[in-house]
Amino acid sequence: MSVIEIENLVRDYGDGKGVFDISFHVDQGEAFGFLGPNGAGKTTTIRHLMGFLKPKAGKCTIDGLDCWREREKVQARLGYIPGEISFFDDMTGTEFLKFIAQYRKISTQSRKEELLERFELDPKSKIKKMSKGTKQKLGIVAAFMHDPDILILDEPTSGLDPLMQSRFVSFVAEEKKHGKTVLMSSHMFEEVERTCDRIGIIRKGRMIAVDSAAALHERHTRSYTVTLENETAAEAFAADFDGICSGTKVTVTTKQSLEEIFMNYYGGEENDQHGTI
Amino acid sequence: MINTALYKREMKGSIKLLIIFGAVITMYVSIIITMYDPQMMKMLDGFVEAMPELMAAVGMKTSAASLLGFMVSYLYGFILLIFPMLFCILRGNALIAKYVDKGSMVSLTAAPIKRRTIAFTQMNVLVSGIILLVFYSTIVELICAGSSFQGELDITALLILNGGLLCLHLFIGGICFLSSCIFSDTRYSVALGAGIPALMYVLQMLANAGEKAEWAKYFTFFTLFHPEGLIAGENSAIAGIFILLAGAVILYAAGIMVFERKDLSI
Repeated sequence: MSVIEIENLVRDYGDGKGVFDISFHVDQGEAFGFLGPNGAGKTTTIRHLMGFLKPKAGKCTIDGLDCWREREKVQARLGYIPGEISFFDDMTGTEFLKFIAQYRKISTQSRKEELLERFELDPKSKIKKMSKGTKQKLGIVAAFMHDPDILILDEPTSGLDPLMQSRFVSFVAEEKKHGKTVLMSSHMFEEVERTCDRIGIIRKGRMIAVDSAAALHERHTRSYTVTLENETAAEAFAADFDGICSGTKVTVTTKQSLEEIFMNYYGGEENDQHGTI
Repeated sequence: MINTALYKREMKGSIKLLIIFGAVITMYVSIIITMYDPQMMKMLDGFVEAMPELMAAVGMKTSAASLLGFMVSYLYGFILLIFPMLFCILRGNALIAKYVDKGSMVSLTAAPIKRRTIAFTQMNVLVSGIILLVFYSTIVELICAGSSFQGELDITALLILNGGLLCLHLFIGGICFLSSCIFSDTRYSVALGAGIPALMYVLQMLANAGEKAEWAKYFTFFTLFHPEGLIAGENSAIAGIFILLAGAVILYAAGIMVFERKDLSI
């Protein structure tokens, strides 16, 4: 059963900017990776799901509810990490989390404490003085504090150090295990690879590929069999290159990274970010 | 309809401005009321005779015989118009447009709270601030007049006058609020929210200054607030403040509707 459903969504900002006839769905308990370069339309699509923008054509629904008309009902179940974090600068992190809890009328504190500990966040300082990464952590805690069952994450790991990135990735994987539905936009191929079941690639406002992460891999896997002079060398070679050794023969498989797959779709046109001038 | 957590936070955000403007109003009101004495009046009337255009431009006219008349001449032409107006402009812009511009509106809209509730709460914050300022001004006026010139102030007339002042500022607040709801960019929100009241005030000064420029009074809403008329209990003056009040209601309702329907690129 699909939880998030986008059908023929159009929003034209002119000059080739916007999203054009985008359709995809995310099933219950599935993690969907939304990949694309800056300005491809990821955030615009997500803003429609959040009920910030009204579709010019097509429609977005979450759990059968219209994302624009019934946005407050949809919001009750959503956890959202915005692509651009901007909180109330005049507050400290602690004050902000307290405010959000009261604003959303969340009663339990336990989950907040758990998240603060998990992401090693000390929210006592003023938000204005926080680093990008700390603000991002605060955004994560604020988004998950009410234990939502649908997660919409717009480049959630930007600004986080590698340790925190992998901690976040395993957190999302855990959430998914608990049956939560995840839509995650990213340009971090690795994290999408590790977390998502299916991946959609967007370019210049159009979906150019939607497929399972496994299928995308399979399509881009190549094997080579190498014969070496003796078995010792073959074993060493197999160990170094993660190959399968049989006698003097070693089979090595290159898993093309998602990044390379991605480049295949994008190859040839380098100026995506800047658009046409 | 109102979100208490948001209301509390925003009222906290209003406190600093309220204290500053409250202090300024206290200072001016107390100084001006203690300045009232019939002999001084003659001197000021002398100024008015000597340079009528200049004095009239800042709302000071001759024949302010009673204490209330004196206060109308020296407080209700400038101080009690400008400072609450500044409050409306600053807060009106900060309550909606600034959050949308900076993107922090996300924290408010990415929650199961209706946009109507958000806008209505912010409107209440603005209206509360305006009521507090006018209420506080009234108290200061009563205390100063009571302590310096006991029994000389027509309290009922003062209350009616300040009721009118409140309606005027609610109307100005409505302009600022609507402009804050329309524009997602603070530059435009301030340009309109501050620009319209300021322009209207200038027209009002112009209309006061001379007979040749009296036509200007038909182009400014300040004309609807007529202190001398209110004190005298003129029907047209009472009608004026009801028009302002009705206008204010329409402006706030329009602001909330615009915010509910607009696209937010946040």
